[in-house]
Amino acid sequence: MGLFRQHWTPNCADEWTVHDLLASLFSVGSYMFVGVGTMGALLLRVWGFVALAVGIICILLMYLVIDPKLRAMSEAFAKRQQQYLEHIDKATRWEK
Amino acid sequence: MPGWTLALVEFASLDWFWVATFAIVMIVCGVIFYKLGKRSESEFFLAGRGLPWWLPATSIYATHTATDTPMWITGVIYKYGLRGIWFAFFCAWCSVSAFVSTRIFRRSLAMSQAEWQNLRYSGLGSELLRGWLAGWQTFMNMFVLAWVSAAMGKVGTYLFGWPHSIGLVVFTAICAIYVLSAGYWGVIMADFQQGIIAFLVITIVSCWGIYEAGGPVAIIDKLEALGQSWRLNPFHFDNEFPFAWFLTMFIMATVGGIGMGNFIDWYPEAQRIQSARTLRDANYSIWAGGLATVFRNSFWAIAILAFYVMFPGITNQKEYEMGWYRLAFEYLPVGMIGVFFASILAIHLSTISTHLNLGALYATRDLYHHYINPNASEKRLVQVGRFNTLLLLAGCFILGLTMRKITEWLIFALWLQAAGIWIPSILQVIWWRFNSWAYLSAWVANLVMSWLVVWVLPALGVIPKLPEYQQFWMLAIFVALVYLPITFLTKADDMDHLVRYYVMARPWGFWGPVRREAIKRGLIEPGMGNDKKN
Repeated sequence: MGLFRQHWTPNCADEWTVHDLLASLFSVGSYMFVGVGTMGALLLRVWGFVALAVGIICILLMYLVIDPKLRAMSEAFAKRQQQYLEHIDKATRWEK
Repeated sequence: MPGWTLALVEFASLDWFWVATFAIVMIVCGVIFYKLGKRSESEFFLAGRGLPWWLPATSIYATHTATDTPMWITGVIYKYGLRGIWFAFFCAWCSVSAFVSTRIFRRSLAMSQAEWQNLRYSGLGSELLRGWLAGWQTFMNMFVLAWVSAAMGKVGTYLFGWPHSIGLVVFTAICAIYVLSAGYWGVIMADFQQGIIAFLVITIVSCWGIYEAGGPVAIIDKLEALGQSWRLNPFHFDNEFPFAWFLTMFIMATVGGIGMGNFIDWYPEAQRIQSARTLRDANYSIWAGGLATVFRNSFWAIAILAFYVMFPGITNQKEYEMGWYRLAFEYLPVGMIGVFFASILAIHLSTISTHLNLGALYATRDLYHHYINPNASEKRLVQVGRFNTLLLLAGCFILGLTMRKITEWLIFALWLQAAGIWIPSILQVIWWRFNSWAYLSAWVANLVMSWLVVWVLPALGVIPKLPEYQQFWMLAIFVALVYLPITFLTKADDMDHLVRYYVMARPWGFWGPVRREAIKRGLIEPGMGNDKKN
């Protein structure tokens, strides 16, 4: 299973995989490094620009890892959404 | 250019022009989307679930920015230096939520968090939970509206010398026009403009403040001359700001992103998640809205360092909390003050509009539609939605006019009371065996124990007054002693109900028995070879 896998079947995309974990880790990294990096860059510190660059790399990696999976999952779910919405109205109805 | 002499600032005609233009644009926005908002309950509260990711993302950013946010961040940065940024890092829950709880919640298609409780749990406990959350959220939204409106009343008094009621009533009423007419469509479209205006003005004012302090190099030199260079280190830990505090905030924010309902911000964000047109849009909207908030905080932080070197040694908290506002009102050139005030209005209106519509959502969808009139027509539901918006507005004015001080107990009510339900809010997402009685008991136990740990026991001398991060963990442990036994002493939720929920939402975590049952019934296909786990 490649980290930058491009093709996902709907069934595979619905499963939780290492891609979700990695995307979450890169996402946390992007928040931390962009936050700290922006402060450092505004103070013209070298560490600030380095941290900001790392934050941007985290964003890029997160996108490459998770976006193909998200696309496949989204398309499959969108087809079933109307059917699910009808089910919700019945399933959550309050019976006196 | 003629000007008006005011309490703190002097407005030129150009300034008033910016303010008036902004207010008119917001109201026109509501009128334009009136026809879309009135089509159905789903349109009035979720914009028909058809928004591209960048619209809810801007709204998330705008909603995370209230009139008191710059005061709060100024306070912690002025006191603690750049390490104070970690106080505001709780918004990082969005970074994990985007790829975990956002996906699960969007797949559930619940219109609100209260409705999700009905989908996740079954039986009487589920109904009690939905009713409790709906009532709590209706009240909390009114409470937040009153709090934020009262803060705007203060800003009006501080800047212009207006009576408290003017700032409180006028701007909130302007906002109500477009929320009443277009519902969530009005909220989201106005938030888009307000988010952009707020982002640009916050950036400009912060850069202007840095420039007025002599630029980045001068700020660093002055801090060194003052013997305060530790303020430049975001990872400077000592007794005043221990590493344990940082670690608590980091864990609370990132691990908390797995759960649902463990942060007060979750509830408005849940509405934005469901309004996105696809799962992918929902994920990116939460992620981008949170990141923009982190980016904004960094600009504020450096501007406050600039304020510190210009005005070091202020010990009165109320005085230094106004630092960022002072940078704007005392240093921006003529004509820009109006733009700045328009951005304060943007910040204010985005918060007000969100909570007006969100409170009405819980009152309409989860109380009226669910319990009172399940067969109501779409037209009727939109009418009730508007009526509930008006009720919230009236409640906000009454509460706001009696609420003059943003006191310690308000902060307590909003933040610390959530400590005990932090873990249960995660467990309900990741563990199939966790049931509605356990979650309900966690809520009740937390309400009681938070008062005990924060107020009663220290007052009686049983325990010392603990730092907030220690209170957080103590509450988490004490409340667990209640809900864990209850989980195992009560029955698991109905398996049919759990299977339906699992097939639709595909939650992450310990769902092995439910997953195997779903596969056995042929509702999902085995995949990835992990079906014997959990």
